[in-house]
Amino acid sequence: MLRSKSIKGRLIATVVISQALLAAGLLFAGVFYTHRRLVAALDAGLQARAMSVAALVRYTEDASGNLYFDDSLVPRSLDPDHPDFFEVWAERSGLLTRSPNWPAGMEIPAGPDHHWNLTLGNVPYRVSRVSHVPVLDREEGQFFQPQALTIVYASPLIRVQEQTWAAGVFIAVASLILLGATVLLSLYGIRRGLLPLQRLAAQAALVSARNWELPMPAEAEQTTELRPLTDSMIAMLERLERSFVQQREFMGNAAHELKTPVAVLKSTLQSLLHRPRNSEEYRAGVQESLEDLERLERLLQWMLRLARAEQWAHGALRRDLELIDITATCEEAVERIRGLAQSRHTSIHLATNGKVLLRADPEDLQLVWLNLLENAVRYSPEGGVVEVAVTRKDGGPAQIIFQDHGIGIRPEDLPHVFERFYRGDPSRTRATGGFGLGLAIAKALVAAYGGTITAENAPTRGTRVTVELPLNGSN
Amino acid sequence: MRVLIVEDEPRLAENIARSLRESAGYAVDVATDGQEGSFLAESNTYDVVLLDLMLPEMDGMQILTRIRQAGQHTPVLVLTARDEKESIVDLLNAGADDYLTKPFDLGELLARTKALIRRGKGQPSPVVTIGDLQLNTANRTVQRAGRTILLTAMEYRVLEYLAHRPGAVVSKTELLEHLYDYNWEKFSNVIEVYISGLRRKLDDGSDRQLIHTVRGQGYILKD
Repeated sequence: MLRSKSIKGRLIATVVISQALLAAGLLFAGVFYTHRRLVAALDAGLQARAMSVAALVRYTEDASGNLYFDDSLVPRSLDPDHPDFFEVWAERSGLLTRSPNWPAGMEIPAGPDHHWNLTLGNVPYRVSRVSHVPVLDREEGQFFQPQALTIVYASPLIRVQEQTWAAGVFIAVASLILLGATVLLSLYGIRRGLLPLQRLAAQAALVSARNWELPMPAEAEQTTELRPLTDSMIAMLERLERSFVQQREFMGNAAHELKTPVAVLKSTLQSLLHRPRNSEEYRAGVQESLEDLERLERLLQWMLRLARAEQWAHGALRRDLELIDITATCEEAVERIRGLAQSRHTSIHLATNGKVLLRADPEDLQLVWLNLLENAVRYSPEGGVVEVAVTRKDGGPAQIIFQDHGIGIRPEDLPHVFERFYRGDPSRTRATGGFGLGLAIAKALVAAYGGTITAENAPTRGTRVTVELPLNGSN
Repeated sequence: MRVLIVEDEPRLAENIARSLRESAGYAVDVATDGQEGSFLAESNTYDVVLLDLMLPEMDGMQILTRIRQAGQHTPVLVLTARDEKESIVDLLNAGADDYLTKPFDLGELLARTKALIRRGKGQPSPVVTIGDLQLNTANRTVQRAGRTILLTAMEYRVLEYLAHRPGAVVSKTELLEHLYDYNWEKFSNVIEVYISGLRRKLDDGSDRQLIHTVRGQGYILKD
């Protein structure tokens, strides 16, 4: 089973993930920056304390110029649990003093003044070394060779760490709150955004075989992203309705057309059974029924042919078609209809002008020609002439014209002759044995090849049917 | 009884006509296009018209409208291949009395035709009783005082027509009109032959005459 995917879920996930990434970045940057600032502030504090420690270095009262450290005024540590420690060096006298908690064996890195971290019994410390500090103590009238002091002062980093942590927590909580708000907002926004889609779906659900109207909700129509969908829905509905109506019409027509032959057959058999008959009467009745059935069968065949042709006309031409010669198919069709023509003393004149090649199924084309020829012959007067001309317009379509000199088509029937089951004059068609499907089949087949078919009354007498088939891509 | 069938499918028309003639003994005229149908319906008096809708020249609806506009009361049964409600409603509103959709059952067509004729003559029951005479139009049997009387086809037709108009004077011309179809030569003395045959069979063994002659006017069937 395919897992269903939710647009809402995906959008929310995208929002949450990007927000979370943003929050993480912010947290990292915030914590880093805060830590840097706090450490810098601590470093400044360390230097100040180093200075205040340096200020406690005094000259002895004698004139020796020796130095001593007055440890009565050592600044108090900020954190009594983890006291500061320091040491003071004099340029010449060496180590002057170091605080009692000075860690044993601690190395002071060489190099210029700087700050560094170290861990002492799990407690992180920040250490600062300040050198070239002059001795502040001066006695009036005395002058000694000046001595520079170097102070190493260390304070615990715990407070900095605590403050950094607090800042991190603050940023994290703020980000989480923002994230939650964003999710809610985007949920609302997405729901609002998807509303036109839901409206559209609700309207689309109302479309049925009875009601092809799809009133576009204004929201859907105004939504740019839905435009392609609404446009294609409207177009699709139009196509569907057209083919549905066509199907229904065909079904209706077919049912209607089938009813009469079925009624004939049924009444023949019923009247045969109505009372006892002799074997000659039964024979005649069965013979009649058989004729009725054959007519029914022919009608069915024609209907299936039409349904097939119309199906092709609607879809793209399937099959890999070969290049065939239209003229040749015409010649063959004329040959096949010659029997009927001769029986009616009608002659067929075929005027051709070389090969006209088209990618097509020869059977399809022949069926078109046969239908048109049969009509032309049937409606020609006894001894008449049917003219067929195959020409090719320069660079244009192939043109095949069928011209008879018969009674023509009544003007009011002209627009309808290609409609299924249309019989301008039923009595005339009954007499000629048609079902009113031949021209509809011809039209559907020609349409399947992208062509057109038109019928008109010739200015003189008779009917002229013109078929045009586009040759693009074929030659 | 005389029936007009207007149906352009000759096979179907022939089958209906044959079955009406054979099993009901009706005189039947067939028209295979609208114009002929309209002409026949207007120039003759039929007891019922069976009318197809899809017709060459003039369609069934037009014929129906013309019949009703001419003030004819002849019952019309429409044979249609359509079965949409609208067209049926239109038909009935245009003056049709009944309809059947193709393909129909011949037996049903026959029964409906008989029923229409009965109703057209104000005779609701298929069994007509005049005094001690009983005429069953459904199975075409005649009894007088419980005794079954065998009649020839033509004698039965004359009696059936008279029985559908009890107490009314029916002229020889009217009888001829309704007993023969279009193709028959009509001679009024033929009617006298059937009437005398009928009288002989019906009144045999009874002291009361049922068919009376109204001089110069025609016949009347009454107790």
